Amino acid sequence: MSRMRAADSLYWIYRSLVASPLRTALTSLGIAIGIAAVALLTSIGEGARVYMLGTFTQFGTHIVAVTPGKTETMGLSGLLSTVKPLTLEDAFALRRLPFVTAMAPVVQGTGRIESPTRARDANIIGASHETALAWRMRVMRGKFLPADDPQAPRAYAVLGSKLHSELFPSGGALGSHLRVGGMRFRVIGVLESKGQFLGFDLDDMIYIPARRALQLFNREGLMEIDVVFSAKTTSEHMSSLVRERLRKRHGREDFTLFTQEDMLATLDRVLTIMKVAIGALGTISLLVGGVGVLTIMTTSLQERVSEIGLMRAIGCTRVQLALLFLGEAVALAVIGGVAGLLLVYAGLIVLALAVPGLPVLLQPVYALLALLLSVLVGLVAGTVPALRASALDPIEALHAD
Amino acid sequence: MRAWDVLTFTITVLSRQRFRALMLLLAIGVGVCSVIALTALGEGARGYVLEQFSFLGTDTLVILPGRQETTGGMPPLTGAATRDITLADAEAIRDFVPGVRRVAPIVLGAAEIRYQSRARETIVMGTTADFLRIRQLQRATGSNLPDADFDQAQPFAVVGGKVQRELFGGRSAVGHWLRIGNRRFRVIGVLSGRGDSFGLDLSDAVLVPVASAQQLFNRHGMFRVLVGVHPGRNRQAAQRQIEQLMQSRHQGERDVTIVSPDAILAGFSQIMGSLTVLVASIAAISLLVAGIMTMNIMLISVRSRTEEIGLLMALGASPGQVRMLFLIEAGSMAAAGACAGVVAGFILVAVGRALYPEVPFQVPVRVVLAGVGTAVMTALFFAWIPARQAAALPPVTALLKGH
Repeated sequence: MSRMRAADSLYWIYRSLVASPLRTALTSLGIAIGIAAVALLTSIGEGARVYMLGTFTQFGTHIVAVTPGKTETMGLSGLLSTVKPLTLEDAFALRRLPFVTAMAPVVQGTGRIESPTRARDANIIGASHETALAWRMRVMRGKFLPADDPQAPRAYAVLGSKLHSELFPSGGALGSHLRVGGMRFRVIGVLESKGQFLGFDLDDMIYIPARRALQLFNREGLMEIDVVFSAKTTSEHMSSLVRERLRKRHGREDFTLFTQEDMLATLDRVLTIMKVAIGALGTISLLVGGVGVLTIMTTSLQERVSEIGLMRAIGCTRVQLALLFLGEAVALAVIGGVAGLLLVYAGLIVLALAVPGLPVLLQPVYALLALLLSVLVGLVAGTVPALRASALDPIEALHAD
Repeated sequence: MRAWDVLTFTITVLSRQRFRALMLLLAIGVGVCSVIALTALGEGARGYVLEQFSFLGTDTLVILPGRQETTGGMPPLTGAATRDITLADAEAIRDFVPGVRRVAPIVLGAAEIRYQSRARETIVMGTTADFLRIRQLQRATGSNLPDADFDQAQPFAVVGGKVQRELFGGRSAVGHWLRIGNRRFRVIGVLSGRGDSFGLDLSDAVLVPVASAQQLFNRHGMFRVLVGVHPGRNRQAAQRQIEQLMQSRHQGERDVTIVSPDAILAGFSQIMGSLTVLVASIAAISLLVAGIMTMNIMLISVRSRTEEIGLLMALGASPGQVRMLFLIEAGSMAAAGACAGVVAGFILVAVGRALYPEVPFQVPVRVVLAGVGTAVMTALFFAWIPARQAAALPPVTALLKGH
C-alpha cells in the first residue's frame, strides 16, 4: 500500500468518528461552544465598533475643528475662558480659505426657552447659516438660519425636533416668537431628528445665530470652529492652511487643531483593540474545548493500538498514520465549528428579536475565520496524538490487547 | 464501604488513567483560573478608577450654571448659561445654607504665564482658599490663597509643581512675581503632587483669587461652584436647600444643576461591577465546556471498567455505591482542578500586583467559592449520566463482558 486514496482516508476517519457517536458528539460540542463564544463576542464587538464609528461619521469625515488655547486638557479647552479667544471674525476668516465648503462656529450653553404657552430648559447652540450643512442636519419644516450679516444677524431660531414637540405640542411653531434667556427670537425652522451624541440629545436643542449666542452667554470667544472642506484636498493640507491663517491673525499658535480623520483613526484603533479583547474572552472556552479534543484523541489512540499495528503491518507508513489521526482531530474540531456557527446564528436571531436596535451581525468573513480557527484547534490538539500513533512500534502494537 | 476504601479506590483509578485525569484537571483549572484572574482585573480597574476620583470626597457638591430637562444625559458641562452664577450667589450659599462648611467658586481659563524670559500656556483657576481644603490638596511650600472676601482681587498666586519646574528651573517660586496675561501676581505657594481635578492636571495650573480671574478673563459668571458639606450632615438636604436658595435668588427660576460626585461614582462603580460579573461569566462558559469533557471522560471510564463494575457488584456493592464511586471520581478530579485553578489565578494576581502596584487587584472570597463551586457542580452534573449508566449495569453481563 504505497498510496492511500483520499476517499479511503476520509472513510477511515468517518468510521472512527461514528464508532462512538456519543463521544464524538460531546467532543465536538465542547469545540462548538468555544467557537460560538468567540464568534458571538466578536460580532458584538464589531457591532459596537460599527455603531460607535457611525455616530461619529454622521457629521462627515472632512472636518478640521479648531479650539482655543494650546494646552490639551481632555477636551476642556473650548470651555475655558481665555485671554486670547477665537472670535467670530477668525471663523469667517477661515471660511474664506480655499477648499472650505462650510464653516460652523460653536458656542454652546443652556438656558430657559419660553414659547407663549410653555417653557423648557434646553441646550442652546450658536450657529452659522452653514451649520446644518456642516453637521449634516436636515430641515424638516421651514428653513435653517439665513446668511445674514455675521455682525448683526436677525433674531431667528431653528428648533430641534424634540424641543419643538415639547414647546409646540399642537404645532404652529413656524413664525411664532420664543424668549431665550430674555431675548426674543422668531422660529423659522424645525430640524429632523438626529438622536443622541455622546450623552447630548441633539434634538433637545435650539440653534440661534452665533453672534447672539455670544451676547446671551456674555462670552467673547467661540468654543470651537468646525471647518468642512471638499474632498479635493487632504486633512493635512487643510490643517496647514487653517494653522497658517490663524497664526497670521493671532501672531502665534494659541489654538489647537483636531481633524475628524485623526480622531476617527484613534477611535477605530481603540475599538478594534476592545473587539479583539472581547473575542479573546471566548477563546478561553475554545482552549478548554481543544484540551478535550486532545484528551479524547489520546484515549481513542490507546484503545486502537492493535488496529494501528495491523495498519502498519499491511504497509501504512508513519506519515500516513499521523495524517489519519490529524485528520480525525481536525474533523472533530470542524464538526464543532459548524455546530458552533449554527449556535451563533440561533443566538443572533434570539438577540435580534430581544433587542431590535442592536447592530450585531456575523459577517461571512468572520464565519469563515471561525471555521479556520476550528481547523487550527484541531491541528494543534491532534499533533501530539498523531505523533504518538506514528511512533508506535508495529510489532508491539500488534501484540497489544 | 469505608471512606478509606473509597479514597484509595479513587486514587488508584485516577493514577491508572493519569493523562486523562491531568487533562481534565487542566481544563477545569484553566476555567477557574480565568474566572479569578478576570474578576481580579475588573475589581482592580474599578478600584483604580475610584481611587483616582477619591479626592472628590464624600461630602462635596458641584454646582454648574444652566439646566436641561433631558434626563439621563450629561450635565451642562460647558459652564455657559443665560443666567450666571455670581459671586454673590456663592456667598449666599456659604452664609445661609445650614450644613455648608466651605464654598469654592471657580472661574477657569487658560492664559500665558511669564516669568522673566520664560513663558508657558497653562490653566488659570480663579478660586478661594477653601478650594484647597475641599479638595484636600497639599502644598509643597508657601501658603494657601488668603482667606479674603470673594470679591477682593488680590495679586497672589499658588502655582502647581510643574509650573514651578518649567518656569523657575530648580528654584523656589515663592516670593517671585509672575505675569499672567497683562497682570502681575506674586507667588505665595506651590502645590505638591498631581492633584487631578475633573481631568485637569493641577500641577500644570496656577490658582489665583476668584475676583482676579474674573478681571483677567473679563468673565462675570462662575464656571463651577464647589461646596463642602459638614461631615455627617445630610448631603441631600443641603442639595435641596441650595436649589431652593438659588431659585429664590434667580426670580423663581431653577437654572442651575447640582451634581454630587459620589452619587455619580457610585453609579459608575455599579456599572463596572456588572461588567466584571459579565466578563467573569463569559470566562465561566469554559467551565461548561470542561463539564462536557468530564462527561465524555467518565463515559469512557465506565465503558473500559465494565468488568470491574461487575466484580464490585458481585462482591455486594449496591447500585447506589457504584454510582457514588463514579461521582466521587468526577468530583475529586473537578475539585483538584479547581484548586489548581485557584492557585494559578492567585499567582497571576500576584504577578499583576508586582507589575502594576498602583492597581488594587483583588479577588473577593465569594468569587473563589463561586468558581470552585461551579466547577465541581458542573462536573457532578455531567458525571451523573455516566455514573447512572454504571450503576444500571446488570452484574452478570458486566462480569462476562471482559471475556
